[in-house]
Amino acid sequence: MTDAHVVGSGIIDFGEKYEWSFDDLLEGAYLDLVESVDHGINPTADIDAIWYGTLDIANEGSSGASVAHATGLFEKPATQIVNACATGSDAFRNAVQAVKAGDVEVALVIGAEKMLDSTEGLIGSAALERVWRGRGVTMPAFFGMRATRHMDQYETTREQIAEVSVKNHENGTKYPHAHQQFECSVDDVKDSATVSYPLNLYDCCPVTDGACAVLVTNDERAREFTDAPVRVAGYGLSTDSFMRGDDLALTNFPASRQASSMAYERSGYGPDDIDVAEVHDCFSITELITYEDLGFCEQGEGGAFIDDGIPHLDGEKPVNPSGGLLSKGHPIGATGVAQIAEIFEQLRGEAGDVQVPDAEVGMQHNIGIGRNATGAVSCVNILER
Amino acid sequence: MSGPRYHRTREQDQRLLAFECQSCGYVSFPDEKRTCKRCGDAPATFEEVQLAERGEIKTFVVQEYLPDDIEVPQPLAIVDLPQEDGSGESARVYGLLTETDLDELSVGTEVVARFRELFDDGERPINSFKFSVPREVKR
Repeated sequence: MTDAHVVGSGIIDFGEKYEWSFDDLLEGAYLDLVESVDHGINPTADIDAIWYGTLDIANEGSSGASVAHATGLFEKPATQIVNACATGSDAFRNAVQAVKAGDVEVALVIGAEKMLDSTEGLIGSAALERVWRGRGVTMPAFFGMRATRHMDQYETTREQIAEVSVKNHENGTKYPHAHQQFECSVDDVKDSATVSYPLNLYDCCPVTDGACAVLVTNDERAREFTDAPVRVAGYGLSTDSFMRGDDLALTNFPASRQASSMAYERSGYGPDDIDVAEVHDCFSITELITYEDLGFCEQGEGGAFIDDGIPHLDGEKPVNPSGGLLSKGHPIGATGVAQIAEIFEQLRGEAGDVQVPDAEVGMQHNIGIGRNATGAVSCVNILER
Repeated sequence: MSGPRYHRTREQDQRLLAFECQSCGYVSFPDEKRTCKRCGDAPATFEEVQLAERGEIKTFVVQEYLPDDIEVPQPLAIVDLPQEDGSGESARVYGLLTETDLDELSVGTEVVARFRELFDDGERPINSFKFSVPREVKR
């Protein structure tokens, strides 16, 4: 069986793209990808299949054919993947599986989302579609509940949670595609408007439009496109019940533990081997918990992990050098693909001002879905130079 | 809107009627399905159990930003409701809180279900429960 390799990436600047259509987003990421391929690409001849990650929140197509239309890549299998906030990373995982199986030689993975077209609709349905079991339970509430419990159970401090946002916003100012480029202090985070106690505005990722693409191919074709391919070493996808909410799910996201275990096992790497990680930080508390779920530190020690500066850009294990979702934004279908693109750049030494020195093994991680067991889906991919 | 979903579980959530998996002991509320959401037993055998109206806050938030028609600040908790006869496991539910101040809330706080109209669905009142700190516990 062949390995799968990432050989190109393209991204548009994330932000408010109200004037852009879905086609514009897809075109932008695709054209940037085509131009990025080191040795060039003849897309209509070279690309065999397309995986398109989007929740299609703006209601623009609900089909992989949307990418064919936007790019001109016709007469090829094109599949839309939907898997909550892990949509982009699962689109990537599906392409990797097809390439590894030998069924597809060159795959385009592209993710896009227009989040700003119907935000009222989103919060409206979140607010009204449940009665007592969550009338008005929004994402900041689902994740805020983990913060309250983590603070109570492990003496994690409000300041430690805020530090995640401080770190990611600092990184985001150095990352050219980030939506929000400002630095903030722990006090700024705590003084920003309360969204859902204990989370404040700066603990929450912005609502952002965006698109990103990567090119995946096999052993045989990889060197055709670049001298520096990045190998996909492992992947994992797991789910948890929406409802059962065992005690661990009050403070952590068990699906992340399962997905990362699968990825570690497939790749032969462990948590200590990861040089750089792009992880799901829809809220500051999400990243703090994820340190524990991915095995970067022990259960309950996420607060100390950030306090000690370990996940900082100049720390021992940099997490979210791109600024993460907190500063980059979270256009759902594009999010995971953009994390893959960032790890690809990191492992090739092309990450500019946020480059982690000598990064050889990188991890990408997304979770999705709220309810009793928040983070009930999780996808993890491990890449290596 | 929530009409169909609400009416499907009206009997359960107005009487706190839950369903215990006879394989693993998981207490499903308000759903009664044919597979267990914890152990995966399929088909599962469920028995009806009555939940107590008093439970314990496992974690909580206070929402400040919601659509205009929903009152804020809105405290919200995950509550474990034990079985009325004291046997078996608790059910874990989301619950809105009413008549409760932020400084009364903490992990472990005892709360009691109060049945009332939560809001209306056009013409129909939607009745279910909210939780509050019992009066004798109030500081």
